[in-house]
Amino acid sequence: MAKATVKPIITSQEIEEEYIDYVLTNNEPPKSVYDFAKKLNMTEAEFYTFYSSFVAIEKSFWTGVTNKVIEKVKEQQIWPSYSAREKMLSFFYGYVELLNTRRSFAIYTLKKHAKRLSSPEVLSGVKPVFENFAEEVINDGLDSGELANRKFFSKRYKDALWLQFTFLVNFWADDDSTAFEKTDEAIEKGVNVAFDLFQHSPIDNLFEYGKFLARNGKFREKMGI
Amino acid sequence: MKIQESMPATKVERSAKFVKTGFQIGGNYIKHYSKKLFNPDLTREELNEDNASDIYNSLSQLKGSALKVAQMLSMDKNALPKAYVNKFSQSQYNAPPLSGPLITRTFTKSFGKRPEELFDTFNPVSTNAASIGQVHEASLNGKKLAVKVQYPGVADSISSDLKLVKPFAFRLLGMNEKELNIYIREVEERLLEETDYELEVRRSIEFSKACAQLKNTVFPTYYPELSSGKIITMDWMEGMHLKEFLATNPSQALRNKIGQALWDFYHFQQHQLKAVHADPHPGNFLITPDKKLAVIDFGCIKEIPEDFYEPFFALVWEGLMNHKSATIDAFRKLGMIQPNDTARQVEFYYKSYKEMISLFSMPYASNTFDFSQPQFFEDIYDWGEKITKMPEFRQPRGVKHFIYINRTNFGLYTILNELNATVNTQTYKPAVKKQRMKV
Repeated sequence: MAKATVKPIITSQEIEEEYIDYVLTNNEPPKSVYDFAKKLNMTEAEFYTFYSSFVAIEKSFWTGVTNKVIEKVKEQQIWPSYSAREKMLSFFYGYVELLNTRRSFAIYTLKKHAKRLSSPEVLSGVKPVFENFAEEVINDGLDSGELANRKFFSKRYKDALWLQFTFLVNFWADDDSTAFEKTDEAIEKGVNVAFDLFQHSPIDNLFEYGKFLARNGKFREKMGI
Repeated sequence: MKIQESMPATKVERSAKFVKTGFQIGGNYIKHYSKKLFNPDLTREELNEDNASDIYNSLSQLKGSALKVAQMLSMDKNALPKAYVNKFSQSQYNAPPLSGPLITRTFTKSFGKRPEELFDTFNPVSTNAASIGQVHEASLNGKKLAVKVQYPGVADSISSDLKLVKPFAFRLLGMNEKELNIYIREVEERLLEETDYELEVRRSIEFSKACAQLKNTVFPTYYPELSSGKIITMDWMEGMHLKEFLATNPSQALRNKIGQALWDFYHFQQHQLKAVHADPHPGNFLITPDKKLAVIDFGCIKEIPEDFYEPFFALVWEGLMNHKSATIDAFRKLGMIQPNDTARQVEFYYKSYKEMISLFSMPYASNTFDFSQPQFFEDIYDWGEKITKMPEFRQPRGVKHFIYINRTNFGLYTILNELNATVNTQTYKPAVKKQRMKV
């Protein structure tokens, strides 16, 4: 049954809102694009000019949230003075803060994917956006010397952060502590561990030392190499 | 100050930390005894020093309630050898801070605003740690403010922390673990209260109002509208910590003035309010530029129930101890003599506790008391040493209220000793009912 006073849908944003409302009210997706379009007083063809499927709406919801958070954290006055570590922390805190306003829908989209260990399909759109942002932060850290520039490995830092991202999102989805305090702790500790590993560490020195010894002729002779 | 990069989180991690300490202490003992084989003159002092630094190192990395326990242990100087005390005393001043974005997050959660939106200025680097939180400097409308922000998950980790600390408390204090539970629960209750910042703001306002009549004691103004369950905003108090104050070589008159302010503050609370600021460690006080005592932390309040107050202070104050039967009666009420004690035990504990209370109440016996005299403290330490060696005191005795009352009064004595102050002990006398005297 179509609502009596539906104003004509014009933006993808509004379609997303309607979709979220439908899913949360009925606890299931609309039966078909045709059915949903009809409720919105639009034709199926019109719907497809915005989204190719319902899953596309869900994906766009996640990329939307991610883009918005990135934009918001960068607006902070303090942003330029933050270290790479603090920038990443700030992003994650901002992320769960914004997600909390849409918790039901976010969990709904996550729970549809049974495989919790791999990153959910619905986050596939987020991945390039997040990695782009992570790379930016990491490069800042590499430039300032905060992070260790390691051949081959520095390119993988962003992958580690992406794993962190999916882990934290899932952690948040399962968090039942007051005011999601546990998620805050998980962020603080998880991001710190990651950045501890990205920093210069004794392993780097050990590696350098090994390289030095390997290059040292006498040493090689003695070792019979 | 170095920002702490990670905080052991899960119980497993925390346990690992403690297990490590256990190994290290074990190692210290082995080191000690193997050295002693060759050099029999080696004192235990060195061993204690080794142990204390290892325990302190792991406790300070644990933060939160474990740090609190370190502080507590350091307050009970009578129960611990000197080496432990020196190390633990450090924990009263320094603990590594948490990251800036988490501070921001705590603010947006509480107020929906970032700290720089709420205040005119806000320093994201904390000035010092307050054991379960950290303090930031801020300003609003030209007023300098101190903003205390609590670490997330503190309340959650208290109970599990205490479980982990228990075997250590057991070893350090030589107590039976099962008996220790009653006391641990009392400590847990107080610690959980301390995590409730809304309660702390309410109490701070109440106490500073009630204590307003005290001369030479000042309190910061608290701002409930800028405080929440995790954040407390109050006036920034200018002043020196005790150690800095003493380093300026203050005159005896000034020492006495500050000492008297402390004495009055504590005795006014115990006897007029029947509830007391039970955290008298030096980090909670400042000496202001106009030489007054500033009290800056009301996190730990111990309410003194009537059934403890009456028998205890009647003993200390009203010469009740000259009457043996009345004294034994009071000891029974306080759980120091227990129902199934034999006649021989009753006699033994009567004598021992009478000795203890006479010792502890010495300052009350004359009009003024000079806390600089080392003899008084030596006697207390000796008494502590003596009873730790007595099998009769293996099991703790006395009702749970003793923990915080003893900690408060002994903490007060210790600060007065450091001040070398002479105080008038007859201000704010106990208000025990007179008829108790007719026994």
